[in-house]
Amino acid sequence: MTATELLRADHLTRHFKIGGALSRRTLHAVDDVSFAIGEREIVALAGESGSGKSTIARLLARIYSPTSGEIYFEGTPVSRIRSRRNRLRYSGLVPMVFQDPFGSMNPVFRVQHGVLRSLKLHRRELSGAQRRDEAARVFDVVGLGADMLERFPHELSGGQRQRVGFAQALAMRPKLILADEPVSMLDVSIRIGLLNLMAELRDTMGVSILYITHDIASARYVADRLIVMYAGQIAETGPIEDVLTDPRHPYTQLLLSAVPDPRAPLSVAAETDRGEPPKVIDPAPGCRFRWRCPLAIEKCAQVTPVLMELLPAHDVACHVAQAQASAAEVQAPLIKETS
Amino acid sequence: MSEVLEVSGLSVDYLLDRGDVRAVDDVSFTLDRGEFLGIVGESGCGKSTLLFAVAQLLAPPARIAAGSVRFQGTNLVGLTDGQLSAIRWRDLSVVMQSAMNALNPVKSIGAQFKDAMKAHGKPTGEEIAARSAEVLKMVGIDPVHLGSYPHQLSGGMRQRSMIAMAMLFTPDLVIMDEPTSALDVVAQRSLMVQIRELQLRLGFAVIFVTHDMSLISHFSDRLMVMYAGQVDELGETRTVFDRPLHPYTQGLLEAFPSIRGPRVPLKGIPGNPPDLARLPAGCRFHPRCPYAVERCAQVAPELADLDQALVRCLRRQDGSLN
Repeated sequence: MTATELLRADHLTRHFKIGGALSRRTLHAVDDVSFAIGEREIVALAGESGSGKSTIARLLARIYSPTSGEIYFEGTPVSRIRSRRNRLRYSGLVPMVFQDPFGSMNPVFRVQHGVLRSLKLHRRELSGAQRRDEAARVFDVVGLGADMLERFPHELSGGQRQRVGFAQALAMRPKLILADEPVSMLDVSIRIGLLNLMAELRDTMGVSILYITHDIASARYVADRLIVMYAGQIAETGPIEDVLTDPRHPYTQLLLSAVPDPRAPLSVAAETDRGEPPKVIDPAPGCRFRWRCPLAIEKCAQVTPVLMELLPAHDVACHVAQAQASAAEVQAPLIKETS
Repeated sequence: MSEVLEVSGLSVDYLLDRGDVRAVDDVSFTLDRGEFLGIVGESGCGKSTLLFAVAQLLAPPARIAAGSVRFQGTNLVGLTDGQLSAIRWRDLSVVMQSAMNALNPVKSIGAQFKDAMKAHGKPTGEEIAARSAEVLKMVGIDPVHLGSYPHQLSGGMRQRSMIAMAMLFTPDLVIMDEPTSALDVVAQRSLMVQIRELQLRLGFAVIFVTHDMSLISHFSDRLMVMYAGQVDELGETRTVFDRPLHPYTQGLLEAFPSIRGPRVPLKGIPGNPPDLARLPAGCRFHPRCPYAVERCAQVAPELADLDQALVRCLRRQDGSLN
């Protein structure tokens, strides 16, 4: 990436114990995941429910602590942040915007309450008047009038509430916003406005965004890079146009073929895939997609594939795709010699 | 083809303290045997209320204010609960949005199938077991899951078992309210394909309500677009997608980013859907409409037949918009 690295997740792993107190079963929500987010960059994290994408957001927001692995923010390991002051500073730099605009606001307070409160917590140097000015400013940035500050959440539409969510995040002068399905509960006609706002925050204010979504088309609309998760691991990652035009992992291919697109003809091969998410409780080695994979070979049941760069900045964790790529590499010089 | 359903002049009011709100306003349509009708619109457009009214599932404060719902010749409006339960499940079944809430969490799938079957006639235990296993297989679930409880199934399997339950009596009409909205794209696509296959095989008609137009583009025969309680456009699905006539339909279609083709900036539709208690004068869409002229704010358009589709737009009707 040309952009300066802002955050890096290094072999990030989060397991959950499940069952009773005596149970030894663990759910591998996120397993050995490494990625980086650059400055001024929107990274889309896509995958089906249960693939671990929300767990990653919560790990980055320090709501969960990792079972193993480390997160580096501007080069500093996040696990070393201990003091209240530094924890506040981190959560101000890396705030979260939630999925449900109806559940994430306290209905008994005016919408300014959340913004003013986070300003008071995170930017203590501001006076009361400055805080109100700042609240009006961030509301303006997200396209809400200053009169909205006085409203109660129930007076706002879903789209307006999500804008308030972004305004609250902006008030803390963030570098990276963790947006967990921020538009999935909004009406189609409203979604685009929010996606445009996200792109605008990146372009004009230089904020990076981790955009968590199951909607690949909206990811393509705003994101620079795409990370496709499957069963707690990264299946494929790369510049979003490259991944979408040349998907190498069979799961990415399946995902793309299922996206409803009125402009495309219906693929006649109505796939038999049931779309059942895999169980990641005490997984044995091997590729977690192999039960659904049309290309699975013997190796897939024995060795867990790791991400390998098959194309520039485009990494794939698939034995078959990796074998194909190296076969193509061996052939390439031959073609050169003969021509 | 014969008609299985005829809805005419259907209006539904919510009786609220601050006055009545008309959520569904004078909706008429017919449905042929084996036809798939998609109903799309944003939240609050009345699509779910319409569906509940057709299935006679409205509860106070909602009330049918006018119109009729003729199902196989019988007007369902005004029937008693006893008369309705003879029809429900057997001839007409409903698949709800959230199977987790629609299924009983403390009963196994099989026990719930049994309840539905026992409500209509006196089947023997073997008949129940055989039919239950048959419908589960139809939707691609192993019949061992008849002994499973809803929480033991994945979201996709729960929705499938709801659909299986709706198939118990081979109904003539299945009403579906966003049955796939809680599912991932892959599961969603596979469920849609399956619904369509079952429909073509068994010949029941489907009314499918969704907010996601692209989802049904390949599956529905006709498409009805609702806005603020009214039908804005009704036509063949392919025609509506290829050449949408109502500016709202156009706006909805242009609000979807695509994974193919060039990346183009989209605008969506400015503003928000209106509050049904405070509707704008004239055309209900005019405050958000890029083509609105002065007249649109004064005259409320009727739904008119423009050959390729029924459209509620003054400028389309007089030909000033092309």
